[in-house]
Amino acid sequence: MRLLVVEDDPLLGDGMKAGLEQAGFAADWVRDGMAAELALKTGSHAAVLLDLGLPRLAGLELLQRMRSRGNKTPVLIVTARDAVEDRIKGLDGGADDYVVKPFDLHELAARLRALIRRSAGEAAPVLRVGQVDLDPSVHRARFNGKPVELPPREFALLHALMLSAGRVLTREQLSERLYAWGEEVESNAIDVHVHHLRRKLAPQLIRTVRGVGYLMPRRQDG
Amino acid sequence: MAEAHRPAYSLKRRLLLALLAALAVVWLATAAYTYFDARHEINELLDAHLAQSASLIVAQVGHDLEEIELEHAPSGHEHARRVAFQIWERGTILRLHSANAPQARLSRRDDGYSSAVLDGRTWRVFSTWDARRRILVQVGERDETRREIAAGIAANLLAPLLVALPVLGLFVWLSIGRALRPLGRLGREVQARKADNFGALAALDAPDEVAPLVRSLNALFERVGRLVENERRFTADAAHELRTPLAALKTQAQVAQGASDDAARRHALENVIAGCDRATRLVEQLLTLARLDPDHAGRPAQALELAGLARQVLADLAPAALGRNVDIELAAGEGVSIMGHPELIAILLRNLVDNAVRYSPAGATVRVAVAPGVDGARVSVTDEGRGIAPEQRAKLGQRFYRIVGSGESGSGLGLSIVRRIAEIHAAKLAFDEPENGRGLRVTVAFQPRRAGEEGGEVKHPLRAR
Repeated sequence: MRLLVVEDDPLLGDGMKAGLEQAGFAADWVRDGMAAELALKTGSHAAVLLDLGLPRLAGLELLQRMRSRGNKTPVLIVTARDAVEDRIKGLDGGADDYVVKPFDLHELAARLRALIRRSAGEAAPVLRVGQVDLDPSVHRARFNGKPVELPPREFALLHALMLSAGRVLTREQLSERLYAWGEEVESNAIDVHVHHLRRKLAPQLIRTVRGVGYLMPRRQDG
Repeated sequence: MAEAHRPAYSLKRRLLLALLAALAVVWLATAAYTYFDARHEINELLDAHLAQSASLIVAQVGHDLEEIELEHAPSGHEHARRVAFQIWERGTILRLHSANAPQARLSRRDDGYSSAVLDGRTWRVFSTWDARRRILVQVGERDETRREIAAGIAANLLAPLLVALPVLGLFVWLSIGRALRPLGRLGREVQARKADNFGALAALDAPDEVAPLVRSLNALFERVGRLVENERRFTADAAHELRTPLAALKTQAQVAQGASDDAARRHALENVIAGCDRATRLVEQLLTLARLDPDHAGRPAQALELAGLARQVLADLAPAALGRNVDIELAAGEGVSIMGHPELIAILLRNLVDNAVRYSPAGATVRVAVAPGVDGARVSVTDEGRGIAPEQRAKLGQRFYRIVGSGESGSGLGLSIVRRIAEIHAAKLAFDEPENGRGLRVTVAFQPRRAGEEGGEVKHPLRAR
């Protein structure tokens, strides 16, 4: 899952990016409001971590612009402002959650998972499509109840396909969701990951739509 | 503190005692005067009576001494009984005397007034010699009678005092109590105050003597309130500003904890250390800013030679600057001096130069100039950094204001400290571009030293706000 971290503090931004990557996310880190707006227009992020005291474009202003454009990406505000009025303003301004600094990295990751789950219309923490169970919080996948070892990218690909089960995702959409900017991506990387997943789970689990992309059917009939 | 342990005294009791004591003293003095004055008058009056009595006796004696009753006792008036007379034939033979008269001659004198002591008693005697009949008449009166009359008059004057003093005391006590009631009310109002209430006291009925106290108290409340408000805001700001460095520390520490490879762990740990350094610097700056107020409020300013001070500060900072490949240059006119606190001016210079070095690219030069200005002295620090847009310059020096995208993780407090010190010295702080249009120039303009000035020039920090 690809995240957008908007944080102007160099040490904190660096730490958040590294920590979220450890938790299995891909993270883009921008340091001011204008850069964040640009990133939101081009990228496809599963969630945004937003600092409020931002240079060039304030966090709340950015949030308001983003929502008025119809962008529904979940937004988690991460800020030093702990006053109740600030929390209310943030949540009413379109944010989905509010975390006050300093925070716990694991809690932050859990909140992000919850936000992403909710935004996909799911409530259960463990995703289930056909015979596949996926628990993002512990990075565990099961097929027919048996645990399957998956490296982070394959896990993230499976996660993305399951969250959009029944819909076709293009290779571009998938790589946008899996990789942060600046990461080296082979042109056939997605195809390779899909190949591995089919081998480890079941060949007919992921369907290819020629010339378009991949899809995971809601009901598995193979 | 020793003052506070002195036994408290009551204004009311003091006033009462002073008033009553003064009253008693005045009254007693009046009584004493009256006593002596009365004695004098009584003496004159009774002396006249003695003389009159003596002439009467001489007239009464007539031709035959035998006609006069012997042992004639005067009528029963208490004072009159003490009047005695003797009639001496040829001055030697006692022919006639009153019952209470001694047998010996009342006085040696043959004529006029005299005092004599007989049998331990003092007599006032009038003697008259009738030369025709060759008889001496002496009329005497016991002196104690006179004293008793005078004492009686004085006592009559003193008696009402015994009644008047308690009554007056009661009246004085009540009226002082009444007059002091606003003070008591004021005391209760102040005592009942919550510690965070800095509103003015509503002592509308305070008398003229108490009104200045109320006004001073209200002024004090306002000052303290402003100070507390400042402190509160400062603490809130500081706590707020510490959140981000702490979040960075915690996040980096957790990243190090969860890192699967050594390079990532080392990177995170280095960031933890950098974060600690930054938090430490922030705390130091906060402490500096917090200490600027109370520490130097009372200390007198002294004459400072700016070039020497600048040289000293730059010598301290030069190694760090050279480490960043930034040169420092000082152009100082000698003999430029201001009135100020040396430690504070050193902190001001250090912060300005430190900022300039921080925001300078490698290979740049930071120029410090000390010059006498038309309006006193000027210190300017010029860097070759990216400069600051005019609309952002106004915000410089506000607490925790940081210029964005500078890449430097400063505390945002350095210029607040500079601004504060400038305020304390009534100096003006200005930001502009140097002539070549590159970088930022910060100028501190100190006011001129007036002749004969030795201190007190520095504004009170509380009022400088």
